[in-house]
Amino acid sequence: MSAPVLSVRDLTVTLNLPGAAPRMLLDKVSLELGKGEVLGLVGESGSGKSLFCRTLVRLLPSRNMRITDGRILLGDEDLARASEAQMLDVRGGRIGMIFQNPTSHLDPVMTIGDQLTEGIRFHQGLDARAARKAAVAILHQIGFPEPERQFDAYPHEFSGGMRQRAMIGVALSCNPEILIADEPTTALDVTIQAQILQLLMDIRRERDLSIILITHDLGIVAQTCDCIAVMREGRLVEQGRKRDLLRAPAHPYTKALIGSHPSMPPPSTGQGAVAPKAIGTPADKPLLEVDDVNVRFAGTGSLFGGRSGAVHAVAGVSLKILPGETVGIVGESGSGKSTLARAILGLTPIASGNVVFDGTSLREDRAAFLGRLRRETAMVFQDPYNALNPRLSIGDMLTEVLKVQGRTPAADIPARVGELLDLVDLGREFAARRPRSMSGGQCQRAGIARALAVNPRLIIADESTAALDVTIQAQILDLFRVLKRKMNLTLLFIAHDLAIVRSLCDRVVVMHRGHIVEQGASAQVFEHPAEPYTQALIRAIPDIDPDKPLLPQAAREVA
Amino acid sequence: MSARTIGGKWMGWQGRLGRQPALMFGATILIAFVLIALLAPYVSPYDPILQNAEVRLQAPSWAHPFGTDNFGRDVLSRVIWGVRIDLQIAILGVIFPFIIGTLVGTVAGFFGGIVDTLFMRLVDIILAFPFLVLVLSIIAILGPGLGSFYIAMALVGWVSYARLIRAQVLVLKSSDYAVAAVSLGFSRTRIMFRHLLPNAIAGSVVFSMSDAVLVLLNGAAISYLGLGVQPPIAEWGIMVAEGQPFITTAWWITLFPGLSIVMLAFGFSMFGDALGDALGVKE
Repeated sequence: MSAPVLSVRDLTVTLNLPGAAPRMLLDKVSLELGKGEVLGLVGESGSGKSLFCRTLVRLLPSRNMRITDGRILLGDEDLARASEAQMLDVRGGRIGMIFQNPTSHLDPVMTIGDQLTEGIRFHQGLDARAARKAAVAILHQIGFPEPERQFDAYPHEFSGGMRQRAMIGVALSCNPEILIADEPTTALDVTIQAQILQLLMDIRRERDLSIILITHDLGIVAQTCDCIAVMREGRLVEQGRKRDLLRAPAHPYTKALIGSHPSMPPPSTGQGAVAPKAIGTPADKPLLEVDDVNVRFAGTGSLFGGRSGAVHAVAGVSLKILPGETVGIVGESGSGKSTLARAILGLTPIASGNVVFDGTSLREDRAAFLGRLRRETAMVFQDPYNALNPRLSIGDMLTEVLKVQGRTPAADIPARVGELLDLVDLGREFAARRPRSMSGGQCQRAGIARALAVNPRLIIADESTAALDVTIQAQILDLFRVLKRKMNLTLLFIAHDLAIVRSLCDRVVVMHRGHIVEQGASAQVFEHPAEPYTQALIRAIPDIDPDKPLLPQAAREVA
Repeated sequence: MSARTIGGKWMGWQGRLGRQPALMFGATILIAFVLIALLAPYVSPYDPILQNAEVRLQAPSWAHPFGTDNFGRDVLSRVIWGVRIDLQIAILGVIFPFIIGTLVGTVAGFFGGIVDTLFMRLVDIILAFPFLVLVLSIIAILGPGLGSFYIAMALVGWVSYARLIRAQVLVLKSSDYAVAAVSLGFSRTRIMFRHLLPNAIAGSVVFSMSDAVLVLLNGAAISYLGLGVQPPIAEWGIMVAEGQPFITTAWWITLFPGLSIVMLAFGFSMFGDALGDALGVKE
């Protein structure tokens, strides 16, 4: 390893709340970052990985937090003791940062170009003309096709991926030695993610930049980083060279983290799609039949009735789901997969086509169709906090569902609530808890309990694991597997994460721009994708095996 | 809602109450005023409307701590009895607009479309007139008195609550738990009043506290103009009006009822602000 650019020793950050005992948020964290090296900082939400990076530039999120011990050596300078004036030069100038959500970190009323030149002029002292030239060069480097014209464009004129590129550009404009990237691709689709990662690697090579990449996805780390540091509860539990650490993790937590990565084959006990079971013959009557469904969203109408162009969110989709089957719908954001789910459940009106649930047709008898759906299907949502009424305790929420459904005698309701909590592995004491006092995973379990309360035959899960940490994600997926087996559920599982769908679903449907591009048995589609779009999508998944390289080819083709 | 849930919620608040000095302070002021109102017959030293020509316009003294007015009435006693009327004005003047506005806002936000358009255009029409002008004209039509004042407040004041609640309901009705409620076959009434309203109402509760201050001042202003409470009943607004001719010679007639208005208003706004923090309302 070359001499470290950044060396952190025993960094400790303490939270002092008035009236509470001091709490250590970072506990003696030590690590080194070499020149031109990429360090992957892995951990779940609350592990302190973002706090660590903010501490490096001394932007602690609260006045009650203090660096109580340790040193942050950037070259010869100890940032833990530097003055505020010195820090101004360090922030941006020597350590640049990019964040998860480019939309909220770019100034919406400044052109991209102005945001670039601002840093160039402040940190490099160039005049306006030279700064513009430098900014255009950067725009070119970060992959803007028409840098001269796009210099004067505003952030809202770009897609999420281009905005993330712009943010990387803003960070580069100050010519830093170290780039801290905090979950830079988490909000992006896989194909875009691959492009952004590719861009980061190109920049690293061209500028000999050192990068700290914060992520929860071990696949990304395996594909891009040289070193890995694993954080948990403010401590660095393990660090080392990428291959060593992935091959032979020492700490049990690292093992769990690697084990729960969805690209790994499911454990032999799990019912995976890898060995598809025989689920009825094609002659079986489908539970759900979607026939040439179209959904259009009208453009916003004006007062005088003028309507701008309608958006075709779902275009001529047909599919059949057999009883007991687990079907995954995958696609990037905007592919219409969530809209399709809502249309199936009668929550979004369909423009044309038909949905048949177990013999009851939407077209023929809408009231009966909706009535059956409300009693025999249920939905599980993406954001576990937003999906639960914050004012109701979990017990009250389940009780209400049972009451409204009216199939459980009033006297049996408390017992049934207990059963439901058991089913989703929540303790019975959760009946009295409110969502606010629960973790994301617990809330998601409560959301699943609510779905089970109607005793459904079909559950539609819309991105139900997307907002969760990996180990929690794995637990929720296991829960779905167990429930499927126990209750003979039919599951329609919508996700953008192909690895998850592959591990859970028997059959997969790939959607792109409102159309179904491909469908078939999971193993078939994932191993031998027929359509170019599906192929590109699959290649863009970062594999946890560093010997299955993601970057060189995948990124270019999809763009 | 069961008593248990309310109990549980209250337990949750108690912890936060202890950490909120402003909330405690505002609450203490309000409770003190309520106690004074309840105990008025026992704590006021004189009859508030008994005239006594022998002690006209006396400056504050041990016998009359707040002095006496031009009819020889004890100002302290009148201020104490005035709490009853002014507290009533603040509470009734807020509660009717609050109820009407909340219902209208919930329904308009939830149903949208033509219902929403109708109610919101009505809101625009009411907002097009200056508030006090509208209130004064309604009272002028109905005839002076507190009853007319409450009706006028109810007819005009609901618009703010309707707009606040509607905006919240619009956001909340697309939340996942509202969609979940629809997909579970819950009735519209249940979704509106059990799931959306309780989550939408915090902002309005906080606003009602600062609204109480405005209503209180309006009530005093209306009485000052001779359209609200009628003499000789003790009400702070009238007392200020009656003391006006003597302001240079007998300042105490106007000062003490004026200070009382300020104190009560201060209590409401402290309580409201702190309540907003405690309920997590972002303004």
